[in-house]
Amino acid sequence: MISSTNFLSKVAWVFIFGFLSFSIPSGAQEVKKEDSVIPKGRITIAVFPVENLSGTLAPSKEIRQIFIEKLRANGFDVLDEGTLELFMAKYRIRYTGGINREIAKAFKQEVGTDGVLMTTLELYNDTNPPKISFISRLVSTGDSPTISWIDGVGLSGDDSRGLLDLGLIEDPKILLDKAMKLVFDSLNRSLSTGTMGIGGGNPKRKFRPKIFYRSPILEPGRKYTVAIVPFFNYSLRKYAGDLMVLHFAKELKRFKTFDVIEPGMVRQVFLQVRIIMDQGISLADAESVMSLLNADLILTGGVTDYEDYQGGVGKPKVSFSAQLIERKSRGVVWSSTSYNQGDDGVFFFEQGKIRTAYVMASQMAEAIGKMIGK
Amino acid sequence: MKRISKLNSLKLLFLLAFLLLIACASHRSSYLDPNMDFGTIKSVAVMPLTGLARDQVVAERVRDVFINKLLATGAVYVLPVGEVARGVARAEISNPTTPSSEEVVKLGGIIKVQAVITGAVMEYGEVRSGTAAANVVSVALQMMEAQTGRVVWSASSAKGGVTIWDRLFGGGGQPMNTVTEKAVNDLINKLLK
Repeated sequence: MISSTNFLSKVAWVFIFGFLSFSIPSGAQEVKKEDSVIPKGRITIAVFPVENLSGTLAPSKEIRQIFIEKLRANGFDVLDEGTLELFMAKYRIRYTGGINREIAKAFKQEVGTDGVLMTTLELYNDTNPPKISFISRLVSTGDSPTISWIDGVGLSGDDSRGLLDLGLIEDPKILLDKAMKLVFDSLNRSLSTGTMGIGGGNPKRKFRPKIFYRSPILEPGRKYTVAIVPFFNYSLRKYAGDLMVLHFAKELKRFKTFDVIEPGMVRQVFLQVRIIMDQGISLADAESVMSLLNADLILTGGVTDYEDYQGGVGKPKVSFSAQLIERKSRGVVWSSTSYNQGDDGVFFFEQGKIRTAYVMASQMAEAIGKMIGK
Repeated sequence: MKRISKLNSLKLLFLLAFLLLIACASHRSSYLDPNMDFGTIKSVAVMPLTGLARDQVVAERVRDVFINKLLATGAVYVLPVGEVARGVARAEISNPTTPSSEEVVKLGGIIKVQAVITGAVMEYGEVRSGTAAANVVSVALQMMEAQTGRVVWSASSAKGGVTIWDRLFGGGGQPMNTVTEKAVNDLINKLLK
């Protein structure tokens, strides 16, 4: 009788342990608790239409609407639709993935906007289990637009299945709500505490670049201003080069040693100087860009793999190279090759498996930022 | 009779020794110009590689790994690919994967490098042997002196493929990236040793 009780208690413990361990989200970065609401200074924000780089049809308008509603709920003033449309028509704004100095200045002076919220949709897949990834950023307006906040989220419905699939999310709307909550928590935390990012800070060792070169010219602890130029896309995924730019902007912004220039400003300089990159940026072009933007470093590279998968079976794959060119020495000060798959270092029951290319690319970029900055 | 048998055993011994010596010999898959002072090479340009494999992106993958590995050795500085592309455009090289000696000299003058590396990726991907499959990479590179346009180093390396282990137990061989790194390491060892 005693032994039977012991057996039952052991079985119960095994179940409890199993439930707890399988409920831990794998890959997705989550906020543990609801953070305090941002200070209620009346800030006016213009919400740009969502830039859809997912290569598929996605509910971009709905995502934008949720952003507007959440911003209003959090105490922000949102620039009304009519005024934004007139402004965009006046300045012929068709590119919604960034803003340049002139537009930022006009936003401040003409419509009294303090910031522009831009969202880039990376992945939207409503096949069961659904997947969603996007990066949002808040850019200040005025004479020198800067990234005030940048973060994103990459979620899959089966990130934390739990016991008997109780944690499985099959409805894309529920997943979108979860993603929105994470992003707004990050925005609130950033505006209230000044910290950046949903989680992170300590990328796993497996995401470090496999081959790298770091020049002794790079001074540890020194603050560098970085301009990130579009990565060359050799992969089959459309817009993978643009997505890598956003991942690096997001991850480098976490570090105090980097000041990331708003990608819209970099784009403007490229158009202004009429730079057409053939395989990569030349030193002469790099020098022009750095002097016009007053940057110390230019980050460039190439993406060879950027793969997500549909449904429940598969693994994402990301591989890219990154190079940093320094202004003074006119030379390469960092060069690396990174490659990872979602099941790297996964041996038992898919524990630790990463299900979106977003999460992997973010951690890989963060690992590079950490290695450059140290 | 006894003398003949002693002579035969001596011959046999010599034959065995000869065979052992042959077995120890390594086939050279590289050429190094004995008159070249490689210490004078401080910066190099790696040209786009010729992709002879099915997938055209592989040439860029291998080039990228080679550039980073070479930079990581700290022995030479490798020019950024964008700067090489600018030089190629300015030197009006119609086929940058296989430049002529004159074109190499012209390019070297424009982008200020002491050597130019060209090459080809001959094989990249999965090979099958019966039911077993494994990844394989085969790369050939050559270095040309920028001052004269002469070939001063040439080497090739092939890594991966179906092993006895793969045949017996399966497993699919090593990942493509690992095999590529091994082939590139082999080439760099041949260059720097």
